[in-house]
Amino acid sequence: MPARALGLNYAQSTLLLVVAGAVMLFLLVVSSFKLSSETSARADEIAQERLVRIAARQTQIGLLNAESGQRGYLVTGEEPYLEPYYTGVDEVRRGLSDLEQRIVNAEDRARMDSIKSVIEAKLREMDTTVGFVKSGMRDEATETVRSDRGLTYMTELRTQLEAITGRADTAIGQGLTDLATSARRLSITTTLGSMLLIGFTAVAFYIVANNTGQLLAARQSLEDLTNELEERVKDRTLALTQANDEIQRFAYIVSHDLRAPLVNIMGFTSELESASGQLVTYFRSDQSLEAERKAAAEIATADIPESIKFIRSSSTKMDGLIGAILKLSREGRREFKRDRVQLTEVVAASVASLQHQIEEHGVDVDIALDLPSVVSDRLALEQIVGNIVDNAVKYLMPGRPGRIAIAAEESGGRVKLSITDNGRGIDDHDQARIFELFRRAGKLDRPGDGIGLAHVRSLVRMIGGDVTVRSQAGEGTTFFIDLPKKMAIHAGKEQAA
Amino acid sequence: MNCTNANPVTIVMIEDDEGHARLIERNIRRAGVTNDIVAIASGNEAFEYLLGEDKTGAVSAKRALLILLDLNLPDMSGVDILQKIKTNPHLKRSPVVVLTTTDDEREIQRCYDLGANVYITKPVNYESFANAIRQLGLFVAVMQVPVAE
Repeated sequence: MPARALGLNYAQSTLLLVVAGAVMLFLLVVSSFKLSSETSARADEIAQERLVRIAARQTQIGLLNAESGQRGYLVTGEEPYLEPYYTGVDEVRRGLSDLEQRIVNAEDRARMDSIKSVIEAKLREMDTTVGFVKSGMRDEATETVRSDRGLTYMTELRTQLEAITGRADTAIGQGLTDLATSARRLSITTTLGSMLLIGFTAVAFYIVANNTGQLLAARQSLEDLTNELEERVKDRTLALTQANDEIQRFAYIVSHDLRAPLVNIMGFTSELESASGQLVTYFRSDQSLEAERKAAAEIATADIPESIKFIRSSSTKMDGLIGAILKLSREGRREFKRDRVQLTEVVAASVASLQHQIEEHGVDVDIALDLPSVVSDRLALEQIVGNIVDNAVKYLMPGRPGRIAIAAEESGGRVKLSITDNGRGIDDHDQARIFELFRRAGKLDRPGDGIGLAHVRSLVRMIGGDVTVRSQAGEGTTFFIDLPKKMAIHAGKEQAA
Repeated sequence: MNCTNANPVTIVMIEDDEGHARLIERNIRRAGVTNDIVAIASGNEAFEYLLGEDKTGAVSAKRALLILLDLNLPDMSGVDILQKIKTNPHLKRSPVVVLTTTDDEREIQRCYDLGANVYITKPVNYESFANAIRQLGLFVAVMQVPVAE
C-alpha cells in the first residue's frame, strides 16, 4: 500500500483519500459549471449575431424589392407593379425595426443613425417618384430618377448593411470557433475529472478491501491462537489432573504399604511382651506343674522365635519399601541428558543385559532393523526397555516358546516403540493397576516387588512420553512407548512430582 | 462351638501379609474360637478356593463360610474379590468382613455398597487391633451363617 510507504496508518490514509476525493469533486463541479455557462454565453452571442444579420439582410432585400417595384411602375405605370413596391417598403420597415432592436455592437449602432436617415431619404425619393407617376407627372419622376440620388442612396445603404452583415458573419465564425473550444474544454475537464474520481474510488476500494482482508486474516489468526491456547490449557489441565490423581494414589499406596509391616512390628512386639510376662510368671512360681512347664517351653521355643522372625522380616520389608520409594523419588530429581540416541542401540543394549535369562528360557527376540533415532535420555530409555523386556521374559506362557518382537512407528514428530510378547497376558481389569507402585497382577509365581512398571511409567512421563498396554490374557501383551522425537529441553523437572 | 450345626463355619482369611494372618489367627484363637481357618495369601488362590476350578462357585455350595478379606492384595484389588463374591449365587449370602489398613471414606462406602457386612480398619495400635479381632471372634461364636445353596 503506498500510504504505508508514507508512514500513514489505515485511518489516516483513508481520511486523506476522502478529503482529496472531495476536493477533486468540488473542483470538477466548479470548472464544469464555469465552462458550461461560458459555452452557453457563446451560443447566445452567436444566436444574437445571426438575428442581427437576418434583420440586415431583410432590410436590404426589402429595399431591393421596393426599388424594383418602383422601377416597374415608373416604366409601365401599371398598378400591379405597386404591389411589390409596397411589400418591399413594409419589409424595409420591419427589417429596420428588427435591426434597431437587436443591434448590440457599438460599431453597428453608430452606423444605425446614418442607415436610418438614408433609408428615410431613399423611401421618400421612391414615394415622390411613385407620387409623380400617379399624378401623371411622368417626366418629373424620370427627372428625379435621373438625378441619381436614389442610386447614391442605394449604394450607400448596400455598403452600410453589408458592413453589418460582414461583421456579424465574422463574429458568428469567431463565436463558433470559441464555442467548439469551450465545448472541447468542458469535455476534457469532465473526462479527466471522471477518470480521477474513478481512480480515487479504485484506490479507496483497494485500501478498504486490503484492510478488510488483513482484518479478517488477523481475526482468523487470533481465533486460531485462542483455540490453540484453549487446547493447550485443556491438555495441561488434563495432565495436571492425572498427575494429581497419581500423587494421591501414590500417597495412598505408600501409606498403606508402609503401615502393613508396621502393624506386624507393633503386633509381634506386643506378643513378645505378653510372652515374656507369661515366662516371668512361670519362673516366679515355686511349684510348677508339668503343664505349665510345657506351656513355658512352647512359648520360649515356638512363639518367641516366630514373633522375632516376623518383626525382622517386617523391618526388612519396610526398609525395602522405603528404599524403593527413595529410588523412585531420586529418579524424579535426576537431570536428564538430551542426546541423539539410536533406538536400535538402546534396544540392543537392554536385550544384551538380559542375555542370560533370555538364553535360559530359550526366548526368541526379534528387533526391527529400521528403528529410528530420537533426541532423549539414553539411560532412561535403556531402563524402560529393559524393564519391559525383563517382564516379557519372566512371565512366559507355560508350554509355549517365548517370542518378543520390538518395532517402532514414526509419525508427526513422535515415535511409537512397541514391545510385543506371546506370554501369559494381563487380564483387562488388571491393565490399569500394573503401572501402580507395589502392585502385581496374575499368578504370583515369579519373584518381584511391584516396582518395575511403576518405574517405567514414571520414567516415560519424565522424558515427555506415555506408556500404554494392550493385552489378551493367555495370548500375549504389547507395551507401546510413545516418545517425542525430540525431548523438550526442560523435560523431567515438570513431571518430577 | 457351633456344635449343633451339622456344617460348622469355616473362616476364610484372604490376607497376603503372613504376619497379619498370624496375628489375626492368634487373636481369634484367644477369643476361644476353634473353627477351621483357611489362610489364603493372594487373590488368584482365593478365587481358586471360593469358585473352584470351573469358576462357577458350585464348589462352595453347602459350605458355611465367613470371609475375612484384605483389600490390598498384591495381584488384584480386594474390591474385585468382594464384587465376585457378592454377585455369585452360591457365595452372595456368606458374610464378608473387610480388613484393611486404610480408612478412606470412599473405599468404606464402596465396600458396603458392594455388600460387605463389616468393615474393620487395621489400627497401628496393636491393642486395639487385638481387641477388634477378639471381638470379631466373639461375634463369630454367636453368629448364624447360612449354608450356601
